[in-house]
Amino acid sequence: MIGCYDFCGHYEWTFEWLNRLGGHELVKAYWDEAIHRDSQIHASKLIREKGFEGMKEYWGPTLADEGAVYERTVTEDVFRIDMHECPSKGFLLRNGLEQYSDYCDHCMGWIGPLIADAGFVIDHEHNHCGQCWWEMRRKSDATPASEAGEISGKHDVRLRPDWKSPHTDHYERATDPDDKTAAS
Amino acid sequence: MTEPSPSSCALPFTDTKPVGHADFYFAVNATFRFILNRFGIEKLKDYWRDIGANYYRPVTKQWMSGGLPAVADYWRTFFKAEPGAEVDVQEMTNEVRVEVKVCPLIQHLRKHGREVVPCFCQHCYFVSETIAAPAGLTVRVDGGNGRCVQRFVKVDAGVPAQNLEDIATAL
Repeated sequence: MIGCYDFCGHYEWTFEWLNRLGGHELVKAYWDEAIHRDSQIHASKLIREKGFEGMKEYWGPTLADEGAVYERTVTEDVFRIDMHECPSKGFLLRNGLEQYSDYCDHCMGWIGPLIADAGFVIDHEHNHCGQCWWEMRRKSDATPASEAGEISGKHDVRLRPDWKSPHTDHYERATDPDDKTAAS
Repeated sequence: MTEPSPSSCALPFTDTKPVGHADFYFAVNATFRFILNRFGIEKLKDYWRDIGANYYRPVTKQWMSGGLPAVADYWRTFFKAEPGAEVDVQEMTNEVRVEVKVCPLIQHLRKHGREVVPCFCQHCYFVSETIAAPAGLTVRVDGGNGRCVQRFVKVDAGVPAQNLEDIATAL
């Protein structure tokens, strides 16, 4: 049986299997069709129907069950996550698993289209070491991403001494995994 | 009190939490559906064989060196880390018999009203057979759709070939 205990391992392996079969576009289609529109249909429904409240209802129990170490900050205008220990990337790093070129892209791969459908945009960075931050705002809100510490105070992952890595990806008002640039 | 994580000697990859997150079963089912809908059943079988031969290669190595006791140890430890599983594992002279009384995957998908890929239970045969073959073992699955018996038998015991019709359609 293919189990859930080591899910992140075979999930990551599957990205590369699909990449070899049909290239980057097939991997993107998998994240959107299989993960966003099928596996995570419950998340989609909650966030489409309830907006920020739905994000709280989805990510609260999910990240707790996955064993994440994170901080969530929610205001009237923004839903922010500071991920200090990503359970998913952490599993891969601890077990030395790396088949696909950029595992972290999968989050934007399924969350991006979901958030777009629900009328939001994302500012986001991940450092490929198990840390990242997310800010979701309504598409009509032109507010730029916060400065470090501005929204989540001392919990802001960007204040960690180990936040900066040689390979950090940056997304600005994005909903597509290909929207990334290298963080300055 | 937190239970210790599954033994690193029985499972090749270990996590800091003792049991996996059941909602990941949604993604396993969705992955099968994605490949099946886009490429058909033969490509889905290729996926199952490839994941068995590559991702699960460390399991094959354990079974090659440890024989049937390693197979029994693997499945006992594996199912302890799968939420909701009820399984009995027996080691016999020529085989290890895994009686799945409650399949955690099917149970979770049903509980949440998910449409299960009809050929879902066949993955247990194709993945496990690929893991087992280099270790001189062959796999037979009987039942499915929530409960089944999986046998890991020495090849030289001469069991009849797997009949896929013995594997139930998942509903």
